[in-house]
Amino acid sequence: MAAAATSRCLGFRCRLCLKLRGQRASPCGQISSCRFYSGSATLPKVEGTNITGIEEVVIPRKKTWDKVAVLQALASTVSRDPTAAPYAFQDDPYLIPASSMESRLFLLAKKSGENAAKFIINLHPKYFQKDIAEPHIPCLMPEYFEPQIEDISEAALKERIKLKKVKASVDMFDQLLQAGTTVSLETSNSLLDLLCYYGDREPSTDNHFQQSEKSEELEEDTGENDKKSKADDQFGVTWRAKNNAERIFALIPEKNSYSYCTMIRGMVKHRALVQALNLYAELLNNRLQADVYTFNALIEATALNMNEKSEDKWNNILELLKQMAAQKVKPNLQTFNNILKCLRRFHAFGRLPGLQTFREMKAIGIEPSLATYHHVIQLFYHHENPSKGSSRIIYDIMNEITGQKFTPKDPDDDMFFQSAMRVCSFLRDLELAYQVHGLLNTGDNWKFIGPDHRRNFYYSKFFSLLCLMEQIDVTLKWYKDLVPSVFFPRSQTLIDLLQALDVANRLEVIPQIWKDSKEYGHTFRSDLKEEILMLMARDQHPPELQVAFADCAADIKSTYESQDARKTAPDWPANSLNCIAVLFLRAGRTQEAWKMLGLFRKHNKIPGNKLLNEFMDSAKASNSPAQAIEVVKLAGAFSLPICEALTQRVMADFAISQEQKEALGNLTSPTSDSDSDSDSDISEGI
Amino acid sequence: MHEISKETESQESVKENTKKDLLDIIKGMKIELSTVNVQTTKPSSTRQLKSVEATINRLQKAPGDAPKKRTKSLSPELVAAASAIADFLPFDKQTTKSELLRQLQQHEEVSKAQKNGGRAKISVSNIISDMKVAKSATIRASTRPVHQIQFDEGSDDYMSQKTSDVKKSLRKNMLKGKRLNIFDLKAVTEETSETETTPSLWDIEFAKQLAAVNEQPLQNGFAEMIQWTKDGKLWEFPINNEAGFDDEGSEFHEHIFLDIHLKDFPKQGPIRHFMELVTCGLSKNPYLSVKQKIEHIEWFRNYFNEKQDILKENGIEFN
Repeated sequence: MAAAATSRCLGFRCRLCLKLRGQRASPCGQISSCRFYSGSATLPKVEGTNITGIEEVVIPRKKTWDKVAVLQALASTVSRDPTAAPYAFQDDPYLIPASSMESRLFLLAKKSGENAAKFIINLHPKYFQKDIAEPHIPCLMPEYFEPQIEDISEAALKERIKLKKVKASVDMFDQLLQAGTTVSLETSNSLLDLLCYYGDREPSTDNHFQQSEKSEELEEDTGENDKKSKADDQFGVTWRAKNNAERIFALIPEKNSYSYCTMIRGMVKHRALVQALNLYAELLNNRLQADVYTFNALIEATALNMNEKSEDKWNNILELLKQMAAQKVKPNLQTFNNILKCLRRFHAFGRLPGLQTFREMKAIGIEPSLATYHHVIQLFYHHENPSKGSSRIIYDIMNEITGQKFTPKDPDDDMFFQSAMRVCSFLRDLELAYQVHGLLNTGDNWKFIGPDHRRNFYYSKFFSLLCLMEQIDVTLKWYKDLVPSVFFPRSQTLIDLLQALDVANRLEVIPQIWKDSKEYGHTFRSDLKEEILMLMARDQHPPELQVAFADCAADIKSTYESQDARKTAPDWPANSLNCIAVLFLRAGRTQEAWKMLGLFRKHNKIPGNKLLNEFMDSAKASNSPAQAIEVVKLAGAFSLPICEALTQRVMADFAISQEQKEALGNLTSPTSDSDSDSDSDISEGI
Repeated sequence: MHEISKETESQESVKENTKKDLLDIIKGMKIELSTVNVQTTKPSSTRQLKSVEATINRLQKAPGDAPKKRTKSLSPELVAAASAIADFLPFDKQTTKSELLRQLQQHEEVSKAQKNGGRAKISVSNIISDMKVAKSATIRASTRPVHQIQFDEGSDDYMSQKTSDVKKSLRKNMLKGKRLNIFDLKAVTEETSETETTPSLWDIEFAKQLAAVNEQPLQNGFAEMIQWTKDGKLWEFPINNEAGFDDEGSEFHEHIFLDIHLKDFPKQGPIRHFMELVTCGLSKNPYLSVKQKIEHIEWFRNYFNEKQDILKENGIEFN
């Protein structure tokens, strides 16, 4: 960013553009139609375009472009690369996250580095005064958080309010009152604002690290919203009685409606509901008028009030709305969104009022935002109770908003896609899910997917639904597209995928899935491993596939072993042992298979009948009676009922010597006795 | 006399129509479904209900013939028939009669307003069920919520229909139907004179929250550069060398043609030569603003003014 000083003397300040009527016209195909450009140009109309004579020169219209237009045009040429890690991470194998935990950790680390740097700069501003950038970059210079004005004056009070120093402002206000100077109403009101917004506490400084997880997490939504305090009230800040805000409010000689309004809003925010309603009554008594934000807060207060029944609460809300209309206060989007949010608490009773509210909103021309639709969905699909009959309102909603591009209008807008996909998953409707996903990809709507956990939830549900309902080729294409560049699958998602493969008879993909699972941090998930092994071991397969399966099984076995090394009490599930042994046998890795038998004893797990029969087959195939007897001994050691049958088989199929026959006989007879002999048998077997 | 004969007439017709098919009723109706479809939990008197339905159907067809003429009043025939039904049914006669009449009025208005109404729905049963609800409210007020919980704005488990029709008709359900009727479109959209106030703390924080809704990690390098440009850390493309530099609005010719400022100096002589060299140098100087250049020349003028006596000694004219 070198200063282009030399060009100034030849400064061609091009003022040749005509004084044009600055009308905004949308640029559509002015230049050759195949060239793309960002939609941020403004095109003023030009005068004198009607050419009559040939001498008249028509200067073409000058376009004025947005300052990021070029970059936006370039950005539109780049699409997501499914094989690459997201751009936010450093492109280094060590620094690319492999699971959602890691991804969150890395992003937090990056942000914390920036915050630490900013913190140091602001702590020692005198060392960071050198400014070589031209033009000047204000955001890189240190910021000043300490008040500069030291004397007791209203200007000092204003400065402290601006710097959001709660205690300092209150002290300054008290000092001003003691000194006898009157504080203007405007300043008093802004002080009240500060106190009411932060609930008479200092504003939290490290808000980057506070995950404002709203308590409306869908999977854990158990309807306890009435009792839990939401994250709105700043992590449990409640309104203390007789705090500074109330005191100062009482001290202001001539309160206007704004003072009342901000007090009411603060009280509702910090859950002093009864006081808020009382203050509203006082406001009405003083013949003042509340603004729309206050009404929104009062609606919330009415709904949160615990002591009343749902119908009474709804009637109170209607009363408030009527007062609003009577006082000619125009409702805004927040009004209706608040109503819908509150109606969710009323569960089934709230459905009809919810629809009425929605229609009212449309009737007076307020465009619903994504948060509106989210609340409606939550209202109708809150408890996924099929016995009540699931509503079909989601179809209405999707028909209404397909193709629409949204802008953020409500802080809850980013909850829509999560709830919509949850409903699609519940209804098992893939078409609807595609519709929702299409809406997500329209325009800039992808930004409404929300933070990490919400994105993961959305894609998990989407992908599980695909596994359930879609053809396997399409599912695998989605898998390649989404994983891992968009989300990291949970083990349950992978199990769903495995079951889809099973249904579609594409078990050859399983080793690949296992490899991927290891990459995404599911190496030690026993349910996933059991599922994989079970699917591989269930049926016979062509030899190459069998070999691949055996390799996979060996890999899984090694993970179990490494897990053992850490734990004091090793624990291999019986199923896994069975499957691994079978897979080894079928692939011809007989030695390892026989070693597995030893493991059975070590972990005190019982081999399955099928397994023992296969061992017997393998012994037959390799024509070794010793092995066959081993099998029988093992069966005897565990006192399995199949021992008899195996013995018979050995006698029949193998050529064994007399001693072996006797040994076998010894084995079988004690096993037909009671179980107490099994201990001695085990010691025999070893 | 007339009344009694009417009564018996209605009673007989009621008995005739008891066996009428429910679907016929529905097909005949062109009245839009009101979204309040309470599924009552008392099916015991369905037979009586059907007969009432049939009667009402028959009576409804009468206003359908001449819909335009009647505005608010109902035909006396209807009123008489309504009272007959009220007598027939075992409920409170006054309530029933007033309910019936109210519903008839309502449906008359609705049917006029919506000539192109879609599939006929079960409005008749609505009348009945509404009556039922009102009745039970007086007797069993406590169980009212139980009835209400059966609210189901989708009537798909009431009748089996093709799914596309369901979806289409239900689409109307979400958007069309009763609203709160508290706010008035005109009152809301009229432009009130709003005083310009600086955004309060609440507004600023709300705007910050809104901006946070759309926050997503950057998807590619260009998005990062866009973010930097918005922060002010990066030059704006296409690069304008003079970005952020205004030169106080002065033009290039003001920098170069500085002879204008020499008009107070003598037109000939060594001073003129000197000043011309000064202006030549200044015109090539890119680092000074026009104001500074003019000040420079001013300084020379003051200097020469002060040194008048030395100049006079050497015979150089200044003024």
